[in-house]
Amino acid sequence: MSHARDPLVVGRVVPDVLELFTRSISLRVTYGQREVTNGLDLRPSQVLNKPRVDIGGEDLRNFYTLVMVDPDVPSPSNPHLREYLHWLVTDIPATTGTNFGNEIVSYESPRPTSGIHRIVLVLFRQLGRQTVYEPGWRQNFNTREFAAIYNLGLPVAAVFFNCQRESGCGGRRS
Amino acid sequence: MLFCFFSQMLSSAKQKINQSAFSISSSSSSLSHSHSQAKNMTQVTMEEVWKEINLASLHQHRQLNIDHEPMLRNQNPYNSIFQDFLNMPLNQQQPPPSTSSFPLPPPATVLTLNPHSIHTQFEESAKFGCFGKKRSQDSDESRGDRRHKRMIKNRESAARSRARKQECAYTNELELEIAHLQKENARLKKQEEQLKMAEATQHQTKKTLQRSWTAPF
Repeated sequence: MSHARDPLVVGRVVPDVLELFTRSISLRVTYGQREVTNGLDLRPSQVLNKPRVDIGGEDLRNFYTLVMVDPDVPSPSNPHLREYLHWLVTDIPATTGTNFGNEIVSYESPRPTSGIHRIVLVLFRQLGRQTVYEPGWRQNFNTREFAAIYNLGLPVAAVFFNCQRESGCGGRRS
Repeated sequence: MLFCFFSQMLSSAKQKINQSAFSISSSSSSLSHSHSQAKNMTQVTMEEVWKEINLASLHQHRQLNIDHEPMLRNQNPYNSIFQDFLNMPLNQQQPPPSTSSFPLPPPATVLTLNPHSIHTQFEESAKFGCFGKKRSQDSDESRGDRRHKRMIKNRESAARSRARKQECAYTNELELEIAHLQKENARLKKQEEQLKMAEATQHQTKKTLQRSWTAPF
């Protein structure tokens, strides 16, 4: 019952990108002064540079992987390039942040041209330190598949925000 | 590969239409009569030709559909565009397709296709303009399909919009609850403080009282 109110379900991130999961680690994503809450509206100018990411957990010996994808490429009504990989950081020790991890795929700022895109940040727990190979291209990425290949299991945390082009009307016509 | 296919079809169509054109111009009856007759004849021939092309293009269409799924979002890009080519009057320029991402430019053979006598027939039917997808021959089904698709897309868009709205509402609800709980927390803490203070002073007075009781006077 409570799952129906979960913003990730309401926003269809589950099941479009992820399986249903239970949050177990805190994940704080901050662009400048703005902390990302689910469904927050951000414009490309506000997400130009990589955000500050702080994760929870207790044991520094546990490592986490962060994936940032856009499932609504090139447009939410026709997402045939789902998903677009914006950022991939592995080996992040618990209680630290992405600065301490291994940036496999560098941060590329979202620049949607059509529609309102969801940008999802997912945190997975690694079994140990592992080598992750960078995918050949950013589009048509599949988070589920990626997790399966590297035995990451279900996500431990996730958050998403909405992004549209700078001059977008916010999905509202006067 | 597509170009060859289409040019083949067009050349065979051209031949057939040329043949029927000659048969029309050679008829000796009055103008109006010949026109109506010609119209029937051209229509019949056209339909035959069209059927042929339609069948052939459908096969091709099915094959290509698998490869080019994202591009062929329009229902009948091949059929409707081709029909419009044939319906076009001689001298009209081909405007670029408005909705489809289909890259096929108009084959040059189409414009030279119609001999003079048929020009009038085509002009009538072409009055409706090219890419008048609504007016082309077999548009009834495709029109319904297109509308249906548009409706589905619109519904999905509306659902996404509602979802975004809901999230906003949910976040607001949570924020309200946070504010409420914080207030209550502060209040309860104050109460606790007060109680502690009260207890402390009580405790002090008790002590002094006891002393006075045990004083050996």
